[in-house]
Amino acid sequence: MTNGVILANTLRTSWKQVLYWGLGMGVLGVYIVFISSNSDIVEGYAKLFESLPPAVLQAFGASDAALFSSTEGWVVSIFVSEASLILSIQAVLAGLNIAANEEQSGIMDMIMSMPISRTQFILEKTIAYALITLGIILCCVAFPVLSLIAFGVDADIGAVASSILNLYPGLLLVTVVTSLLTTILRRRSVAIGLAAAFVIGSYIFNVIGNAASGAVADLMQQLSFFYHASGEAIIAGTFNPTGTIGVIVIVAICFAASISMFNRRDLGL
Amino acid sequence: MASTPVIETSRLSKTYGSGSRQTLALDNLSMTVNRGEVFGFLGPNGAGKTTTIRLLLDLIRPSSGSARILGMDARDDSVDIRRRIGFLPAELNLWPGRTGNQIIYYMASVRGDSKGIVKHADELAEQLKLDTTKRVRDLSSGNRRKLGLVLAMMHEPELLILDEPSSGLDPLMQQTFHEMMQGYRDKGKTVFLSSHVLSEVQAICDRAGILRDGDLKAVETIDKLTNVEFRWVNVRFRDAIPDGLTAELRQSDAISQLDLNGSQATMRLLGDFDPLLRIIGQGYVEDLRVEEPSLEDIFLAFYSSEEGGR
Repeated sequence: MTNGVILANTLRTSWKQVLYWGLGMGVLGVYIVFISSNSDIVEGYAKLFESLPPAVLQAFGASDAALFSSTEGWVVSIFVSEASLILSIQAVLAGLNIAANEEQSGIMDMIMSMPISRTQFILEKTIAYALITLGIILCCVAFPVLSLIAFGVDADIGAVASSILNLYPGLLLVTVVTSLLTTILRRRSVAIGLAAAFVIGSYIFNVIGNAASGAVADLMQQLSFFYHASGEAIIAGTFNPTGTIGVIVIVAICFAASISMFNRRDLGL
Repeated sequence: MASTPVIETSRLSKTYGSGSRQTLALDNLSMTVNRGEVFGFLGPNGAGKTTTIRLLLDLIRPSSGSARILGMDARDDSVDIRRRIGFLPAELNLWPGRTGNQIIYYMASVRGDSKGIVKHADELAEQLKLDTTKRVRDLSSGNRRKLGLVLAMMHEPELLILDEPSSGLDPLMQQTFHEMMQGYRDKGKTVFLSSHVLSEVQAICDRAGILRDGDLKAVETIDKLTNVEFRWVNVRFRDAIPDGLTAELRQSDAISQLDLNGSQATMRLLGDFDPLLRIIGQGYVEDLRVEEPSLEDIFLAFYSSEEGGR
């Protein structure tokens, strides 16, 4: 059904995104690992975080101060929380690149005058941006892991790598939600606003869920992709894949919905 | 047995918006375009020409009615149809950072036989004197148009759908374009082009449809459509127009819609020039300008004669 030309073309024209985002995040990872290589600094932070109330601790990306006592916990808590926020921006941009940008600039008419179906277009573009995001995530894994080895830091490298890789489903979710919004709404500005609201809302739900207790707070946290992207459970050895599987199922549903919506509506402005 | 029409629409309608903001862009369009003809789709801006083309390409969906292209359903078989047609939109937008060659190669790859298509694209680019090594953002609007023509024609489609194809082309290139379209027809291929320029349609089309406010008013051969024997004439005299000359202009059967303004006279002249030349020869003519009828003039003349004949 798909001949892969659009996929290959998207990768060929967008590979620099992997380079720039990957390098940027990689430098951040190296910096965090470099700090973690100094045990005095890590111990100092651990003592400081133990004295903080949960809501303030959450601002540093962790719900449990004990995480900061281990090097891998320290690296994952700081890096994953920052990377999940920063890469959410990249994920929204990727979602816009699937269809909205070419539709907004009027290029879609020329694209859809070629013998490709709308399904093939969305499918290949989504796969291309999923691969681009994966490339960035792999850079995010590689730089801290290689730095841990290079600096001779004693840490569970497998746990660090798994925690960072766990960001991927959440970022895919942001991408397909943004893509779905652009296929429903057509107006890119409205779609950007709603995608931003989705990311910020999800972040706030996670913060409230961490800081407060009770059934409602727990539910809010479960609804946040930031919660499922957090590597804390992997570091603590309590990781339950149900949440991640749930995110992947929602990704699949949003992806199918975006294809369906794109097939139904008028294209162009 | 008659061959299948290349384009066939049946009560095709399109409405934009909803509720009180609903706009009827195309109203029950039924028409056919036959194989091997160059068909012009004439109408002023906003008449529904682009809407029709976008419906044929399945870029937008009809509110009612249907269309068949090359014997296939425009919606259900849109991918197969697009394999066999070439399209140039009225507002051509391409990736600004890519060169012509990169875009040609990309689109040729999607179409399959990229080697053969790229070779033909090179020939077309040479014919149109287009430098395909430049980035789109560095091309003038005329050269972008040329690139659009190359992209539409490079795979030698059976049907070309062109929306305002020659806008932005200089007169020499317009002539080249007209020759290309005639060559296309000579190969037995079909061209469907929209335009609001009568002279363009007159130069290359066999038949034309006139669209107005989303309504197809007529489909006629070009000869019949443009067989109106009037022109707009503007005469500027050196001095004020003498009363006697004015009276003769008013009395002439060939002249109507006379407008006098100081030393200038504008009129609608029906038939030969000789009666007018004899009258204005009484004064000193500084300047004489003749304009061909506008599309609207043709439209009104065509209809007034049709109604008169009934």
